[in-house]
Amino acid sequence: MGVHPEALPGTELSRRSLLKRGLLGGSLLALGGLGFLALRGGRLVPVPPDGLRVFSPREFAVLDSVAHRLVRPRAGWPTVEEMGVALAADRIAERTEPSAQKELKQLLGLFENGLAGFLFGGRTRPFTALDGEEQDRVLAEWRDSNLAIRRTGFSALRTLVLAGYYKSPRVWPALGYPGLPAGIHRPEAPEWRGGEVPRPDGNGVWHGDPQR
Amino acid sequence: MSGRILDGRAHAADATLHCDVCVVGSGAGGSVLAERLVARGLNVVMLEEGGYWTRRSFDGREDLAYARLYQELGNRATDDQSVLILQGRNVGGGTTVNWCTSFRTPRTVLERWRDQFGVQGLDEAALTPHWEAIEQRLHIAEWPAELMNANNRVLWDGCGKLGYSRGLIRRNVHNCANLGFCGLGCPVDAKMAMNVTLIPDAVEKGMTVQANASVRRLLVGPRRVDGVEALLLDPETDKPTGVKLTVRSKAVAVCGGAINSPALLLRSGLAGNGNVGKRFFLHPVVIMSAVMPDRVEPWSGAPQAAYSRHFIDRGPGKVGFILEVPPVMPLIAATVFPGEGERHQAILEQLPFTQTTIAICEDGLLPDDVGGTIRLKDPTERRVSIDYPLRPFHFEAFKEACKEMARIQLAAGANEVRSLHSVPVRMTRVEEVEAALDRAPWEPGRVRVATAHQMGGCGMGKDPRTSVVDSQLRYHGLDNLFVVDGSVFPTSLGVNPQETIFGIARWASQFVAAGAA
Repeated sequence: MGVHPEALPGTELSRRSLLKRGLLGGSLLALGGLGFLALRGGRLVPVPPDGLRVFSPREFAVLDSVAHRLVRPRAGWPTVEEMGVALAADRIAERTEPSAQKELKQLLGLFENGLAGFLFGGRTRPFTALDGEEQDRVLAEWRDSNLAIRRTGFSALRTLVLAGYYKSPRVWPALGYPGLPAGIHRPEAPEWRGGEVPRPDGNGVWHGDPQR
Repeated sequence: MSGRILDGRAHAADATLHCDVCVVGSGAGGSVLAERLVARGLNVVMLEEGGYWTRRSFDGREDLAYARLYQELGNRATDDQSVLILQGRNVGGGTTVNWCTSFRTPRTVLERWRDQFGVQGLDEAALTPHWEAIEQRLHIAEWPAELMNANNRVLWDGCGKLGYSRGLIRRNVHNCANLGFCGLGCPVDAKMAMNVTLIPDAVEKGMTVQANASVRRLLVGPRRVDGVEALLLDPETDKPTGVKLTVRSKAVAVCGGAINSPALLLRSGLAGNGNVGKRFFLHPVVIMSAVMPDRVEPWSGAPQAAYSRHFIDRGPGKVGFILEVPPVMPLIAATVFPGEGERHQAILEQLPFTQTTIAICEDGLLPDDVGGTIRLKDPTERRVSIDYPLRPFHFEAFKEACKEMARIQLAAGANEVRSLHSVPVRMTRVEEVEAALDRAPWEPGRVRVATAHQMGGCGMGKDPRTSVVDSQLRYHGLDNLFVVDGSVFPTSLGVNPQETIFGIARWASQFVAAGAA
C-alpha cells in the first residue's frame, strides 16, 4: 500500500517523529517497498536485452543513476554505459542469497522513494527524477547521515555500484594498473583431483626464476 | 591408495559416506588436522563449502577471485557494514588467499589463555615441535629485505626514521616469484597454501575432499555426534543442486572458521550454554593511504614483508595495534578508498604512487572487550548475522593508529597522507596530523574498518559455563565433537593468525584421533 508524501504533515517535528516511529519499529528499509504513489515520476532507463535477474526496471534505473554520479565522464576512462554498470550490479546481486537481494531491493526502493526522500531531506521527487547535483546532495546526505542505518545503506549501495564498474579490466589503464604480468598464468596447468592420476610435479613447486 | 577431490556434481542423488573423522572446512585448521589424522591411518572425509580452484584459474582477476575464493563474493561485512570482512571460501580456505604472513603465537597470549581462561597444556613447549614441522613443510622463512617491495619499504623506512621497532615478516612460500598476487590465489603455486600442500598430501594417502558441500547440521545424539548433513552446491552457480550428502563418522571436527563454525553449531542446536558465537574477535583494521613521490605499484611484489609491533602494548585500558602493509589493486581500492565521482577517480588515478599502511588492533584483551556475536539469520541460508559493535576504546586506538601511520608515511617521504574517512582527512605536514585526526569523525560507518582475521566464537577454556570447547578442543559435553580453527581462541592474538591455527590444529590432532577411537 502506498502513502502519498503530500498527505503527510510537513513540519520538521512530524517528519522526525515519523522517522523515529519507523526506526523503532524496525521498518526503515521496509519503506523502500512502498507502492507506486511514493515512486511516481521516477525516470526509467532501457533494460538491456539480457534482462534483469534480481532488480526491477525501476531499481535498475536507480542503480544507473547512482553509477552516473559515482563515476563521472573522464578522459581515458570508459563510460558507465560502456561498462554496463547497473547490469553488472544485477549480476553481482544474483550470486548473493535471497535475504541479501531483498535488502538491496529495499535499499534501492528507499533511495527512490519520494516518502523516504521527504522524511530524510524534505524532497518528494524520486531520486531518478532529480538532476545530477541534487542526486549528489542526496548521496552525501546518506553518507554523512546521523542515522547509522543510512550510512550503512550508502556503504552497501556504493560498494555494489563501484564493484559493477571497477570489476572490469577495461578500467585498468585509467588507473595505471597492468594486471598480472604476461606469461605467468597457465590456463592449461594440470588440475589434480586424486584418484589414479599421479600428483603432478609442479603441484606445490614452481620451477621459475625466484628473483623475478 | 589415493583419495579424490570431488566437486558439487559428483553425486547425482542423495548419498552417504562413512569414515573415521569428518572434517568440516579445509582452511588452516581443517587441512593441518586432516593431514595428521590421515598420517595416523584414519579414514577422513573433508567437506568444504567453497569450490576447488587451482592455478589454472588464478589469473590475477580480482572480480573472479573475490567471487570464487572469498566468503560472500568478498563483500562479507558486519551487520551494520561498518567492518569489511575478507575471509576465504574455497578448498584451502584462507590459506589460498592470505598474504603469507606467518607468526608463531606470542608467549604472552598463550599465558593469558592459561591464566584467564584455564586453558591447559597449550604452551610454547607443546606447540614448538608442531610449529617446526609446519615451518619445514611450508618453507616458512623470513622474506629477504633486499626483495622488499616499495609498499613495505615505506613502513620499514618510516619506522626506522622514527625509531619505532620493526621486523621482517616470515612467509610460507617456496620459489616465490615476488609477483604480489597472493590474495587472488598464487598463479605459480609458490605459496605453500593448503590447496597445494597438506590437502594433496592427505589425498595421496586416501582422504576424500568434497568441495561445494554446505554442511547444514551436525547429527547430534546423546553425548556424541554421528556425522553431518550437507547440501551440495553447483560449482558454477553456487546454488544448491538438491542433492544431500550425509557423512557418518566416529568423530567430527568443525573447522569452518570463526564465523561459520559457531553458525554450524547453532544450526545444530548446540549453544554451549549461550557461549557459542560470543567473544568473536576480528582484529579490526584501520587504514591510511599516502601519495609518494615515486612509483609504489602497491600491487607488485610480496604483499607483506615488514611489520611493527611497536604499539602492541599501549598501557592499561588501551587497545594495542600492529602495523603492516596490504597489497592494493583496482577493485579493492575503488571500494575501500573513499570518495565519489571525480574526487574518487582522482584518488584512484594516483594508485601507482599510492602506499597504504594498516593498523591491526588487538581486540579482546581489555576487561570490558567482549567482542562481537555470531547469530543465525535465516537458518536455511548461509549468510549469518555478524554483530561487532565498535566501541569507544576501538576508536581511541583507531585514531592514535592513524596518527602513527601518518607520521610514518610522512617520515618516509609521502607528499600527502589521507585517512579513509568517508570524507578523507588529508595532511601534508607532520605538524598537522594530531589536530586534523583529532577533529575527524570517529564513528561506525564514517571511517573504513576492515578485517582479514576472524577469531573466537567457540572459545576454549576449562569452565563449560564460560567456554565452548575444553583444552583438548572437545565440545563440552559431547565426546567426539571437536572445533579446530581460529574460533577456539579465547582472545585475539596481536599477530596474523594462520601459524597459530596451524600449530594448534597439529597439536590437537592427537585428541581428535583419540576421539575417533
